[in-house]
Amino acid sequence: MRRLGILELTIVLTLLAASFGQNPSYQSDPDWRPPDEAANKTNPLARKPQAVAGGQKLFLRNCAECHNKDGSGILKKHSADFQLAAVQQQSDGTLFWKITNGNPDHGMPSFSKIPELERWQLVLFLRKLKPPSESPTQP
Amino acid sequence: MRWIVLLFLFALSGVACLAQESPYFVTYNHHMEEPGNLEIEVSSTTDVPRSGQRFYFAPWTELEYGITARWTAELYLEGQSTWNDSTIFTGWRLENRFRPLKREHRVNPVLYLEYESINEADRIQKELEGGAPDVSSPNSLLRRIKDHELETKMILSSDIHDWNLAGNFIVAKNLSRSEGFEFGYSLGFSRALATMASGSNCRFCRENFSAGMEIYGGLGSTLGFGVKDTAQYAAPVFAWMISDNSTVRFSPGIGLTHDSSPALFRFGYSYEIQGFGSKLSHLFGGKP
Repeated sequence: MRRLGILELTIVLTLLAASFGQNPSYQSDPDWRPPDEAANKTNPLARKPQAVAGGQKLFLRNCAECHNKDGSGILKKHSADFQLAAVQQQSDGTLFWKITNGNPDHGMPSFSKIPELERWQLVLFLRKLKPPSESPTQP
Repeated sequence: MRWIVLLFLFALSGVACLAQESPYFVTYNHHMEEPGNLEIEVSSTTDVPRSGQRFYFAPWTELEYGITARWTAELYLEGQSTWNDSTIFTGWRLENRFRPLKREHRVNPVLYLEYESINEADRIQKELEGGAPDVSSPNSLLRRIKDHELETKMILSSDIHDWNLAGNFIVAKNLSRSEGFEFGYSLGFSRALATMASGSNCRFCRENFSAGMEIYGGLGSTLGFGVKDTAQYAAPVFAWMISDNSTVRFSPGIGLTHDSSPALFRFGYSYEIQGFGSKLSHLFGGKP
C-alpha cells in the first residue's frame, strides 16, 4: 500500500512537472482567422510524405523555441499546443496562413520569409504532432 | 564584469536558433527580428580607391533586437581604418523599425526612424543619402566634423513566389548643419536558391543559400535634388546560412557614377540568439 502511494505520488509529480512546461490550456485567438480562400487551400506536398523530414528540421529551427520540440507549447510563452485537437482540426490552409501571417499582437511573428513550399513542409510536420499516447497518422 | 561575461556565455548557450537572413546589406524589407531574439552582426565595407584616394576598411557591429513582432530596434557601433592614415571610431546609430499592418499584404510598409551620432570620417555607407561621401580628406580633419542626424525611411516590401522585392526611400536631416533635407534610395530583390528543405543537416545544400541584387544611391537634397554629384552602386548580394544560428553575407558593389568608388566590397557575419530577452530576464530573476 505504501509502495503504491509513492508510485502514485511519483506519477502525479511527473505529470505536474511535464504539464508545467506545456500549454494544454491553450485556446486559439478567435480573431485570428484566415479568409475562406486561404483556409481552403490544400497542401501541395500532401502526397510527398518524404518532405516531412525537412519540415521537422524547419520546425526545430524556427518554431521549437516557443512551441517546444514536441510541439506541446510553452505555458509561460502562451504558445499554441499543436498536439491539441483544437489545432489539429484546423485545415492545412489555415495552418499555412497562420505561419505566413503570424499574430504579431500576441507574440507570433510572421514567417513569410520562409519559402512557400517550406511553409507547407512545416504544415506537413505539424500533422505528425500528436500526444505521445496516440500513434502518428499518415499525412 | 563577471555578470557581463556570465551573461554573454549564457546567451551563447542557446543552440536551436534561427537565422533565415536576408542577403541585403543596404535595403530593408518587411521581415522583422523575431520578438525576444538578439542578432549580433559584424560587417565591413572596403573599397577600390580611385587615384589619389586611399584604401579604407570600415567595420561595424550591429545589435538587432526584436522588441515585439512588429517592432525591431538596432544599435550600430562604427569604425574606420584608412591606409597610411589612422584607425578611428566614427560613431553610433540607433534605429527603430515598425510594421503598422498586422497581416501580410501584397505590399508591406515599414516605418523607420534612426538617430545617428557619427563624424564625417564614417564610411560604412550603410545607406547613401545626399551627395557622395568624402573619401579623400584625412581622418584627422574629418573626425572633427560631428554629425547628428535624424533619418526616416519608407520601406515597402513584397514577397512574390519566393522572391522578395523591396524599396526604401530615405529622408535625412543633419541637425548639426543646415544642409537641408537629404534624400536617398535603395532597391533590392532576392530569392533562396532552393525552396524546399532537405531532411539532412547539410551545410552546402542550395536551401542554405540566397542571392539577389541591390541598387542604391543618393538623390541630393532640398538644395539640389537629383543624382548629380552622388554615389550610385549596383551590387549583387549573397547569403549563406552556415548553421541554424549564423549567416555569412557578401556583396561586391560596382560604382555607377564618377563620385562612386569603382567597387565596394561588403562582408558580414551574423549570429542570432533566440529567446535572448527571456534568458536575460531569467538571469536576473524576473518573469520571462
